[in-house]
Amino acid sequence: MTVRNNTGLLNKAAEENEQNVRRIKAETGKPVIGYLCCFAPPEIISAAGAIPYRITGQPGMDTSAADAYVEPYGCTYVRNILARAVDGKLDFLDGLIISHSCDMVQRLYGIWTYSHPLPYSYLFNVPHQISPWAQRFYKRELGFFQESLEKFTGHQVTIPELKNIIVKYNHNRFLVRKLYELRKESLPLIEGSEMLNLLIAGGTLPAEDFTVLLEKTTNDVIKRKPDGPKAPRILVWGSIMDDPALYRMIEEAGGKVVADDTCIGFRVWEKDVPLTEDTRDGLTEHYFVTFQCPRTDRGPGIKRFDYLLQRAREYRVDGVVGYSISFCDPHKFDYPDLRDYLKKEGFPMLLIDDNYSFEPAGAIQTRLQAFIEMLK
Amino acid sequence: MSHSEMSRAKRHLETTSRMKEMLPRFFMRMMERRFSNEPLAWCMVGVPPELLKAFDLLFEWPENFGTMCASRLVAPRFIEVAEGDGYSPELCSYVTNTMGYCKLFKETGEAPPESPLPGGMGTPAMLLGSGFICDPRWKWFQSIATRFFDVPVYSSDPLAPPWDIDPHDPHIENHYLTLLREDLAGQISFIEKHTGKKLDLNRLREIMALSHEALAYWRDTLALRKAVPTPMGSTDYFHAIIPQMYLVGDQEAVDFYREIYEEVKDRVERGVGIVEEEKYRLIWFGLPPWFNMGIFNYLESLGAVFAYESTYNVGDYFEVDLSDPLEAIVRRTWQRAVKMHEYGAETMPELCNPAVFGGFSGSNLLEELVGEYSLTGAVMHLTRSCRAVSFGEVHTKNRLGKIGVPSLIFESDMADPRLWSDAQIKTRLHAFLETMDKTGRGGNINDRQK
Ligand code: SF4
Ligand code: SF4
Repeated sequence: MTVRNNTGLLNKAAEENEQNVRRIKAETGKPVIGYLCCFAPPEIISAAGAIPYRITGQPGMDTSAADAYVEPYGCTYVRNILARAVDGKLDFLDGLIISHSCDMVQRLYGIWTYSHPLPYSYLFNVPHQISPWAQRFYKRELGFFQESLEKFTGHQVTIPELKNIIVKYNHNRFLVRKLYELRKESLPLIEGSEMLNLLIAGGTLPAEDFTVLLEKTTNDVIKRKPDGPKAPRILVWGSIMDDPALYRMIEEAGGKVVADDTCIGFRVWEKDVPLTEDTRDGLTEHYFVTFQCPRTDRGPGIKRFDYLLQRAREYRVDGVVGYSISFCDPHKFDYPDLRDYLKKEGFPMLLIDDNYSFEPAGAIQTRLQAFIEMLK
Repeated sequence: MSHSEMSRAKRHLETTSRMKEMLPRFFMRMMERRFSNEPLAWCMVGVPPELLKAFDLLFEWPENFGTMCASRLVAPRFIEVAEGDGYSPELCSYVTNTMGYCKLFKETGEAPPESPLPGGMGTPAMLLGSGFICDPRWKWFQSIATRFFDVPVYSSDPLAPPWDIDPHDPHIENHYLTLLREDLAGQISFIEKHTGKKLDLNRLREIMALSHEALAYWRDTLALRKAVPTPMGSTDYFHAIIPQMYLVGDQEAVDFYREIYEEVKDRVERGVGIVEEEKYRLIWFGLPPWFNMGIFNYLESLGAVFAYESTYNVGDYFEVDLSDPLEAIVRRTWQRAVKMHEYGAETMPELCNPAVFGGFSGSNLLEELVGEYSLTGAVMHLTRSCRAVSFGEVHTKNRLGKIGVPSLIFESDMADPRLWSDAQIKTRLHAFLETMDKTGRGGNINDRQK
């Protein structure tokens, strides 16, 4: 049995990611640019001579340091990040990029940069619909973003360099997809929590370092022998998942997380960035038009969840566990529509409401166990 | 549960009291048209009402319906139905109110009998949304059209620059204005397609001229509240915004706002306030508790008046050239964004977050406001289910603290009375006023100014 890690505090991976980036920063002398959400492409950050670092929270930690700046009614993950920033835990960041994905992160940007300014910060504004004019806005925004970053790093982005970095990232996407393929097997060779930790690390490493990690992991994984009893196959959907605690709890309850639809998960790696003549067209297509996040309006109707249904079928999922963080509007609004749709298509769904602490662990575990029993 | 502690507001002005006849007349006119099966659009604040008028399109505002359900205390019934359907109690109560209403409507094929208006909100033929202000607005109409009414939706997307970007930089201005223009064109072609009508620009220009005339009277009325004692309080303020939503572009609205202006001006000239002794002059942040507007009268009974409210406040963003009415709508939206930007856009998602004032570096707007309106304190309503408007209050409280203005944040909701705790809230308000006394911020304002 694995050691239960409901609070995430035992998750050494996050700590290692931080140590890694500090080391890489010292070795390369490049600035580290923290980011939340994927609308501002990390490829551009790299091409401008900086190290993109996807900031993660620390579920369950005391967030009272945020109280002096924000009210209690706000996404608990966002409060967590702010508390870490205020506490100086993110002092290795030279800059911050937040995209306007949801209201909460947008506000985090303002309050953070106002109260604790960083040498560089940029809010990447993103329209909420994918109309032709919204796409044009996004594409222009890519330009403004790049310009501001170049000013900070003093490094002009060249097209060949940017293309080269896109190719490297795409290669990682290919490797991630290969690992996901292995999860389609009846006895997946890699646990969901292990996969998630890998993807979290991927957000914090330069592309080439992540390639090394992915290749090494893949080599290890393919040597494994399928083992253990068959377990109900779970897809996890919902709010930010930047800690494997929930996955571990599902595993402990006898389930296998074989697919996901959360930030940091498959949606970031699912498709390649198209290498278009104008690189910004490909980036717009990838990071804005096809990037599946409920904050973007894809019109009414249940068809907007077709991609998820397809994924559930491809990975032969038995049930869906939804994860919703307190005050997360984009996900809480989609839940009833999604639940009904999945039910109609034969996929039961369990929703876990959480304040980004995975506590009380016992109660969550009991609900997961009952759900997984039911799926057996 | 019992709602015995909730009280309706007492208004002070004659003009706002007359709304009791004016609005039902309007709703009757609307109802007759609905019965003859004219298409009805449900709209969100942020959709230019002048445009709806120019198309002679029947419209209804679910947000405003939410305030009506709240003040009649029927919102909990609808909200509970939505919660039973899986909508989280944390979600905007205007939205969950609508979702519960829609579910009951779908089940019975008619407006639930509890609806505050006969016929409720009617049956929409289209949904015109606007992402102005918050995320819930993006998901709201999407869900209505998915679950309840299979009708076309258009949501407009008026983005605004973040706080650290200079909106006066011509590149930035162009970047945003282009989006606003193209988005408006999209909205118009959507309405044209679904009504089969063409937009008449001359008609739109006339309507906008009337609407701006009314808004100018309203803006000037609000400026009159700088007078000590303040001639108008929050109960009148929050009710007087309704004609802007329904009657905009009508002569009736111009007359209403002119009359309110004249009445308030007359009170200033005669030195008539709304309380006998104005001991505390406050600024209100956040949405009001629509189910208990009597709380303002309670505060008045303690000598506390509000001379300014951050929510629903008009600036002079509508001072635009009307020769091209479409460009005027775009410029108006943009000017509003710039104005809010000056107020402090650090927590502004789109066009406005009225919780945040005077944050933009170099901006003295908060200080100016405090000075011009002789404000001595602030009360902030932290609405649990609407973070869009209230998130940022702590930040503003910090800023007010720096200029020595005390403030109180209390928690409840705009439409869901289940989150109201009467005794506790009153005790906190009372204690706040007492601290103001102790720190020399209470007492007769005229004496203190000497
Ligand atoms: S968890 Fe939800 S509210 Fe929080 S940052 Fe993510 S999308 Fe926004
Ligand atoms: S601004 Fe607040 S009240 Fe209005 S729709 Fe958004 S969440 Fe609801």
